[in-house]
This record gives sequence, structure tokens and C-alpha cells, in this order.
Amino acid sequence: MQPGLQAYLTVAGFLFAIGFAGVLLRKNTLVIFMCLELMLTASTLALVAISRFYNSMDGALFVFFIITVAAAEVAVGLAIIVALYRRRHTVQVDELNYLKH
Amino acid sequence: MPAFFFYFFSALTILAALLVVLNRDAVNSAMCMIVSLAGVAALFVLLQAYFLAVLQIVVYAGAVMVLFLFIIMLLDPKTRRIPVSEMNMVVGLAALVMLALGAFWLARQYPAVADLPQIPELPTSQAPMGYATAAKTFGFGLFTRYLLPFEVAGFLLLAAMVGVIVLSKRTPADSHDDPAKPPRA
Amino acid sequence: MSTMLTAILLLPLGSAVLIALFLRRRGGLAAALSTTVGFIIMALSLNVLLTWNGQDVHVSQEWLRFGAYAFSMGFYFNHQTALMLLVVSFVASWIQLFSVGYMHDDEAKGRFFGGLSIFMFSILGIVLADNLVMLFVFWELVGFSSYMLIAHYYKTDFANMASKKAFIVNRVGDFGFLLGIVWCWSHYGTVSLIDLHTKLVGHPELLGTHHAIGISLLLMCGFVGKSAQFPLQVWLTDAMAGPTPVSALIHAATMVAAGIYFLARVFFLLSPFTLHWIMWSGAAMTAFAGLCALGQTDIKKTLAYSTLSHLGYMACAVGLGYPELAMFHLAMHACFKATLFLGSGSVIYACHHEQDIYKMGGLLKKMPLTGITFLLASLANCAIPLFSGGYSKDSIITAAFLKGHAEGSVYFGVYVLVLFGALCTALYTGRLFSVVFLGKARSEEASHAHESSPFMTIPLVVLGLLSLGGGWAVYGWTWGGHFTGLLPSSCVVVFAEAFNNLHEAVEKSGAANILEAVNIAIAVAGLVVAYLFYGRAQTDALAAKSPGAFHVLERHGWFDDIYDWYVAQVQQRVADIVGAVDLLLFKFTFGWGSGGLAGLTGSVLRRFQTGSIHSYVYWFLAGVILFWALSVG
Repeated sequence: MQPGLQAYLTVAGFLFAIGFAGVLLRKNTLVIFMCLELMLTASTLALVAISRFYNSMDGALFVFFIITVAAAEVAVGLAIIVALYRRRHTVQVDELNYLKH
Repeated sequence: MPAFFFYFFSALTILAALLVVLNRDAVNSAMCMIVSLAGVAALFVLLQAYFLAVLQIVVYAGAVMVLFLFIIMLLDPKTRRIPVSEMNMVVGLAALVMLALGAFWLARQYPAVADLPQIPELPTSQAPMGYATAAKTFGFGLFTRYLLPFEVAGFLLLAAMVGVIVLSKRTPADSHDDPAKPPRA
Repeated sequence: MSTMLTAILLLPLGSAVLIALFLRRRGGLAAALSTTVGFIIMALSLNVLLTWNGQDVHVSQEWLRFGAYAFSMGFYFNHQTALMLLVVSFVASWIQLFSVGYMHDDEAKGRFFGGLSIFMFSILGIVLADNLVMLFVFWELVGFSSYMLIAHYYKTDFANMASKKAFIVNRVGDFGFLLGIVWCWSHYGTVSLIDLHTKLVGHPELLGTHHAIGISLLLMCGFVGKSAQFPLQVWLTDAMAGPTPVSALIHAATMVAAGIYFLARVFFLLSPFTLHWIMWSGAAMTAFAGLCALGQTDIKKTLAYSTLSHLGYMACAVGLGYPELAMFHLAMHACFKATLFLGSGSVIYACHHEQDIYKMGGLLKKMPLTGITFLLASLANCAIPLFSGGYSKDSIITAAFLKGHAEGSVYFGVYVLVLFGALCTALYTGRLFSVVFLGKARSEEASHAHESSPFMTIPLVVLGLLSLGGGWAVYGWTWGGHFTGLLPSSCVVVFAEAFNNLHEAVEKSGAANILEAVNIAIAVAGLVVAYLFYGRAQTDALAAKSPGAFHVLERHGWFDDIYDWYVAQVQQRVADIVGAVDLLLFKFTFGWGSGGLAGLTGSVLRRFQTGSIHSYVYWFLAGVILFWALSVG
């Protein structure tokens, strides 16, 4: 059976779900960050699929921007994590609770 | 033929994603992430978005994940191995299942289009923003309809660069810290 | 004409603003500005009075609108306004000139002259006002100016307490006044004097309703406060803590007379019951204040009681039904009382700010101008014929007699009281003049006194001449086209007619000569007795011979002490209780109530800040689901 739009969207959905579960489950900040990227990737896949099946370039162009923004976000986020590590000497999320009341 | 490739690569992607989540070591997670991204790139190829596939490999799997690996390796080996939290396990898996089901249901809302329309290589004058495979279409779209977001993305990258430089400056307090001491309150 | 009136009203305001903004430290300039503005106002007023054609002028401008009620500002210029405008502008200008000399060494001249300017603005507002609310606004402004000027020497406790006392006692009266205005608006539907005049004149039966009685009693409260009548007379003597020009201008000539002016303006509103009360209280005040004046050794306090006594005369005249005679006496009183106060100021200045009369003496030789003008004003005070006071005060006494003659024996009581008041006036005036100006000097400063500077003596001469000849206007000697006697003709109309009618009535009753004789006899006798009794002694003769009586008079019948006791013991206790209840109320509703509630909410909401990123992600998920559910419907 030819993979239709639904198939591609299902894959994207599963990727998103896995990424989200990773954010909820992992305690290593860096792995949480990677799972965030996984969620973004899932959304790019969905966009390209819809763009292809509805014969429009808009989706693909949007993916272009998503990749750009994701790259910038990763850079800044990792810089923050490194700075945080320098102060707190940990990347474990449950030890980074200084905003607790 | 394309159907087989689709199933193969989508299975690869999803499996690698699961491994990212479940792995103990952060470096292993990063490696599995790269495999997952490569799988997504293959799916892009299957959708005739060749430019995006290459972009995904070069930028995402290449630059971004390499950066990730750099940072992971910068950190202490002891801090790399942090297991999954047992308390959240049940809730997380429940969330996962629910989300997966939700995604499945959502996907079914779209029509089951089987026949892919024929797509040209270059856009035609009747449908200038129609889907085409050449990289030229990206250039065309970016510099006409999406010019403003394009410029703004440039600014965004500049801001990110400046931010990173500022954030990664070593403050005098950092150099006095002994890594063996417990963290300051 | 209305432009000139606007200019007259707003010039002192401009002067006050300029002084307040720029000239606080440049006392000399402030003095010059204020005095110049005062003389300009006098010139403009004379111009208005001389060119006025005698018709009532009314202009009005709506200022604010609250639903059905529109607050408007405007002028209502009639004969009473004319006389009062003359009095205010004329007396004020010369007193300002006097102050330039008197306050020469003072450090806070700027503040003083600013206060005088704002006072001018306020009193002119009262004079020109055409509706009760505008009058009330300026009434309060006058109270504020008085407060500010009494507290001029604010570094002394006495001045501070006196200014607060003046303001608060006035406020008590003004509370009644405000209630009266509100009731008046509620009952008659208007506060404009013109409209009220139209409604009430010609319908005397309207004044018998309990509304009218209530309104007039409440409006009388304002008069009682401002003009220091029973029972609110306690502030006037303490107000002598202010500089002497202030006492002259505000607490003798103009502000306290504003109450009388007000009564004359709203005379048609007052019910006979109220008039009755005013008459008796005025007559009683005349006698009582006259007696108390004999118990004072401070020159200014003596003159303050004298003012109270004369205000009693004016109130009595209003109560008897002769508001024009009250205005007449107001004008004459302004002249001679201002002269007396300025004279006392000159004497005080010459004796280096000594105010005890038993430290003065023999000053007639050393300060001839002051002495002679003081003598002229004193004779006017005692109502010696030919002097200004003689005409006005005698007419009031005569009117009291006529009322007694016409309506029955109880009114003879009024006649006896005012006659007794006249006797006391003669006694204390004689005492004052003898002790201060005749005989030998009783202290070092007095023996070295010399005549004051021209700034002080010229106003004394001008006002002294007026206190001599102000009353000659009743003879109708018109000259220069617009002057009758020494006053502009347009002002004279107010009282000349009433005066002449009164004398016709007296002639008819046949007792004219006896009355005249009695008055003169009392005045002369009083003066002579005072000179013989008090003149030569070193200390007060009454205090020496009967200290008990002297003590009663000195303590002013213990009015002040009773009020002090009441405020300290009764009122303070009530205030403390109310304060405690208030505190409790607020502590409960706001401290433990809303405050506690806020605290509780805060401590609950605080729990949301767990610091754990995972819990934030769960909240995020919950929010997304919520939005999705809302969007799907």
C-alpha cells in the first residue's frame, strides 16, 4: 500500500509523542534538550508531508525557518546549560531547583 | 518500492527516537538522535524534498548534533549517566501512549490521499508557489513572498550569536570554584 | 462696569500668586507690590462708585454643573455692595501702607503681604458674590487667610494655637452655614440671591414656615462664627496674636464685619424668630464684651473686646429690623476701629513691642499725631455727637428705644442693655486713653518713645479724619458732583434714608431730645469717671480695689476655660473612643479580613513554584489540553 498523507502524519505524531515523553521522563538536562529537538523534527516532517500532498511550497519554506530557529535555539540553550553547569556543577534537573519557594 | 522504503525508514526513525529517550548514557542518546535525524532526512527524500533532506543532514544532524556532542563531552563523565526517573515512569509512559493515540487519531482526520500528484521540477507560471523539487524554488519563495521572515531570521541568528558569546564568558567567580566542592546555594 | 469689578476681584489674586511664586524672599518688593495693588483697587473702586448709576448690576457665569445643580460665579452689585466695597478697598489700602512701616524689621514680609493679598481677594469675593455657594467659598478663603496671618509669628506657641482656635471655631459656625445653604437649595430650589429675593420679597408669610426658621437659624450660625457672637466669640481675643495690621484689617474692620454684611444681604431670608434671637444675643454681647474690656491690660485685647461689643451693636441693629443702620455702623466702625488699632500698633512699635498698657503712659506729648488720631477715634468709639460713631451708634440705641416704645416692655431690656454697653464703652475708652496717652510714662521704653515713620502716621491721619467726619454724609451735603459728606454719594444712599426715617419716627414720638441727652450724658460721664478713676494710677485701679470683679472680667467670664475643659475632657474622650472603634474595625476587616485573605492566597499559590522543570512541563501539557478542548468546543 502506498504511504498516504495519513501514514506520514502518523509517523510525525509518534515522533512527537516520544519526544514529549522524553522531556517528561529524563533527568539529564541535555537529553531533555535533545528530546525537544525531536519534537521540532516531528513538526518539520508533518509540514513537508502536507506541503507535498497539497501541492504548495509554503510548508517546505516554513521548514527552512524552523531549522534555522532550531539551530539558533540550540546554540543559546547549550550556552545556558554550560553556564549553569559552571555554577551548580550539575545538569540534573531535580538538583536545579533554586526557584523553589 | 517506495512503500518498502517508507516503512523501513519510518521504523528506523521511531526506534532510534525510543532509544534516545531510554538510553542511560547521554552520548549514546546523541548517537541515536543522529540516526533518527538521518531517517527523517530519508523520509524527506521520499517526499521529493531533496533540498530539505540535504539541509537536514548538513545543519541538523551535522552542526546541531555535533554541538550537542561537544557539550555532552565537556561535562563530567559522572554526570552523564543519569537514569530515567522511576517516579515519573508511569506518568510519562501513560502520557506517551495517550499522545501516540492522539496523533494517530489526528492523522486520520486528513484524507487518505494515495496517488501523489505529479510534481514538476521547476514551478510553472500558473502555480508559482506550487511544490517543485528544484532548490531554485526555495530561492524563489524566500526572496519574494517570505522576504521579511528571511531577513528577520538573519537578525535572529545575529542575536543568538551575541547571546552565546555573552553567556559563555567566564566570570571571575567561576574560576575560583573547586569542582569537588558542593554547589553554592 | 463688570470688567472693572472683575479686575478689582482678580488683581489681589494676581498679586498673591506673584508673591507666592517669586517674592517670598524679596520682602520689600512684595510689600511694594501688595500696597500698590491695594491702592489701584481703591482707585478702581472709587471709579466704580462715582460712575455708578444706581441700578442693581448682576452678571453671572455658570462654572460647574452637577446634574440639576449649577454652581455659578457672579457679581451682584447693589447699594450694600457699594458701601462695603468702599469700606474694604479704602481701609485695606491704608492699612497695607501702615504695614509697610510696621513690618519694616520683620523677616517674613513676603509671606505677610502675600497673605494680605489673598485676604483682599477673599473678602472682595464675599462682597461681590451673587449666590450663597460662591459666598461660602470665599467665606472659607477668608477664614484661611485669617488663619495664615494670625500664625505669622509661627515660632511662638501662642500664635499657632490662636490661629488653630480661630479656624476651628469658625469651622463650627461654617458647618451650620453649609447645612443652611443645602437646606435653602433643597427648599427654595435656588441659592442665587437674586432669585431668592424675587421669591421672598413681598411674601412675608413665607418666612413663618419652619423651613424658613430652620434655614435662617443655620445661616445665622455662619454669622455667629465669623463675627464672633455668642457662643463662638472665644477666638477673636486670641486672634490678637497676629501682627497689629492684621488685627486692624481682619479682626476689626473687614472680616468680622463680613458676617454683618452677609446678614444684611440675606435679610429678606431671615425669619422674625431668628431676628429676635440675633437682637437679644447682640445686645447681650454688647454689654458683656464692654465689661470684659475693663478687665484687660493688653491694649490689643481691650480693642478686641471693643470690637466684639460693636459687633453686638450691629447684630442688634439687624435683629431690630434695620440692616441699613447695621451697615452704617459697620462702615463707621471700620474707620474708627482701624484707626484705634493702627494707633495702638504705632504705640506698640514705639515702645519696642510692649503691649501692656500699664507700661505705657504720657505718650500724647511724645507721639502727637498718633495721640490726636487716637483721641478722634476714641471719641467716635464713644459715640460723641458730630463724630462718625455718634451717628451710627446713637441710631441703633434710638432704634432699640423705639422698638421698646412700640412693642412693649420686654424690648426695653434691649434698650437698657445697649445703653449699658454704651456706658462701658465710654469707661474702657476713657481708661485706655488716659492710661496710655496721659499722665507720666510708666516704663523706660515709654519715656523714650517717639513718633513713628510717615508710613504709619499718614494712614492714621487719613483714617482719623474719616472717623471724625465719616458720618456727616447723613446731612446730605453734596459736593463735587458725586460726594456727600466725605463719602461717595452712591454709598450713602444705603443708610442716609434709614437714618432720616428713624429720626422722623423719633421726633414723632416726642422723646428725641431726652434720648439725645441721655446718650451724651452717659458718654461724657463715662469718660470723665474713667479718667478720674484710672488716670493717675500706676496699676489698674479696679484690680486694686476689687480684685474679684477684675478677675471675672479678665477671664472673660471663664468662657475660654469652659470650652477648654469641654474639648479636653469630653470631646477628646469621645474622639478616643471613636478612634479605637475605627482601629478595631479596620484591623478586623482589612488586617485580618482582606489582608489575611491575600496572605492565604499567596501562600497557596506559592506551592506552585516547585523549581522542578518536570512539573512545569506537566502544567504546560495541561494548559495545551485545556486550550485544545476550548478550541474544539
